[in-house]
Amino acid sequence: MKKISFIVFLLFFSIGKATTIKVGANLPVKKIKQALALANDGDTILVHSGIYKEGTILINKKIYFIGKNFPVLDGQHKKEVVSINANDVVVKGFKVINSGHAALNDPCGIRVYDKNNVIIQGNILDNNFFGIYLQNSTNCIVKNNVIKAYGKAEQLIGNGIHCWKSNNLQIIGNKITGHRDGIYFEFVTQSVIWRNIANNNIRYGLHFMFSNDDAYITNVFKNNGAGVAVMFTKNVKMFNNYFEENWGDSAYGLLLKEISDSYIFNNRFARNTSGIYMEGTSRIKVEKNSFESNGWGMKIQASCMENEIVNNNFLKNTFDISTNGSLVLNTFNSNFWDKYEGYDLDKDGMGDVPYHPLSLFAVLTENTPSAMLLYRSFMITLLDKSEKVLPSITPDNFVDNKPLMKSLPL
Amino acid sequence: MKKIVLLFLSFLMISCGSNEPQPIKLNVDSCEFCKMTISNGKFGAELLTKKGRYYKFDDLSCMLLYAKENTNVQVQSFFVNDYAKDNTLIPAEQSFYLRGGALNSPMRGNFAAFASDKEQDNFQKQLDAKTLTWQQVFTLY
Repeated sequence: MKKISFIVFLLFFSIGKATTIKVGANLPVKKIKQALALANDGDTILVHSGIYKEGTILINKKIYFIGKNFPVLDGQHKKEVVSINANDVVVKGFKVINSGHAALNDPCGIRVYDKNNVIIQGNILDNNFFGIYLQNSTNCIVKNNVIKAYGKAEQLIGNGIHCWKSNNLQIIGNKITGHRDGIYFEFVTQSVIWRNIANNNIRYGLHFMFSNDDAYITNVFKNNGAGVAVMFTKNVKMFNNYFEENWGDSAYGLLLKEISDSYIFNNRFARNTSGIYMEGTSRIKVEKNSFESNGWGMKIQASCMENEIVNNNFLKNTFDISTNGSLVLNTFNSNFWDKYEGYDLDKDGMGDVPYHPLSLFAVLTENTPSAMLLYRSFMITLLDKSEKVLPSITPDNFVDNKPLMKSLPL
Repeated sequence: MKKIVLLFLSFLMISCGSNEPQPIKLNVDSCEFCKMTISNGKFGAELLTKKGRYYKFDDLSCMLLYAKENTNVQVQSFFVNDYAKDNTLIPAEQSFYLRGGALNSPMRGNFAAFASDKEQDNFQKQLDAKTLTWQQVFTLY
């Protein structure tokens, strides 16, 4: 009888066009792997809550893989937990924990291998080596996942969301903590990162390498080891992000290295060692950003050219701008500088005297960091003032000709 | 007498600055060339100048590019991370190298260094990578 019922059961699934296979401790199908063997393309596997320790769960069919009340998929620190090897797979509502660690093949919580149209949504990932890993994938969505790891500085750990050689990705509304880089993009194009929160990651909140034509919008990057890095890239749009509390010798709110033709608009840089550090960047527009309470607002190295810094607020920074050379190939216009001491007789809202944002002392400390000891001493203040009147060491074309009298409402 | 001379000599050696590598502090030190924070203790590298200053790098390719670009920096010695160990620096000139295959380094130099040719052999199969000598590595950049 049991055999017949099982055959009927099997028949039922093979005839029905899209069926739902339920998995749970009190149900006929007790194991996820069993359900995967039974499933056909287009089926739904609904996993009820419980703890499933089944090694690597390999999804090689086009299925909807749905968890009810966050069933736990435990990798037991040995292997990858979920491997997706089919197009059009949806993984939703699982708690994926304890992937293998520090192995050569980078074990992950959830990994997509060379596939399209995969959706990974509303999962909790806890204590995995890499969180979610997309390789060679197109049109995938990673949405509303909570990704947490417990990395320490001296130990190797993977990235929260790691994307490699992919395009048309949407990374939306994820929360990432405790990984190496919160979100990592390498050779990823035409993708968008929107409304994510990356905090307390060991290295960067977001890290771009060789990834062109992307945008990241309305994200929060707070208290990561070294902020956000955008490197060896062009055509990146950075809108409405928060870069906060990235403190340390080599930490920057935003590190730009070898990047061109990008647009930085309406971001907020607050309480970082350096708000933006630029090296080898060209044709970037920095517009309507707020730099507040940073050690350095912007560090612009001499290797940068044709950048435009327009309509920003510089408030309460120790140094607004610093540079390491005398060559100036960037333009500053209509920014608000709280250190500006000029006047506006014609009442057009712009100061009548140009403002030199580069202080003498910023140049001195760039060359001799230990000179910082003398900051706010009487002699330095005197030197700074005389330099303002008669620039000799600071490049005199480092100037904002139309400094604003009032801060912009950003 | 001999002992005293030896002791004296060793003191002299220490005070003159040694030829020892300085450990890389992971996730604290940053790469001199690419400015990235060094987070992987298998691919890092270090340069010691004749003046005794250390420059640290997250990838061997960064160190070589830096050395070729900054010819005014007089190099005393190069060090590289031993791939078979965790964050251990070994002299670069005497190391054995692999490149490519499954290697995936922070700045895509994709070099792995080993203290012995035996280890190099073992990993060569595992990583499916090409073997190189220091001379070959150095002339690549």
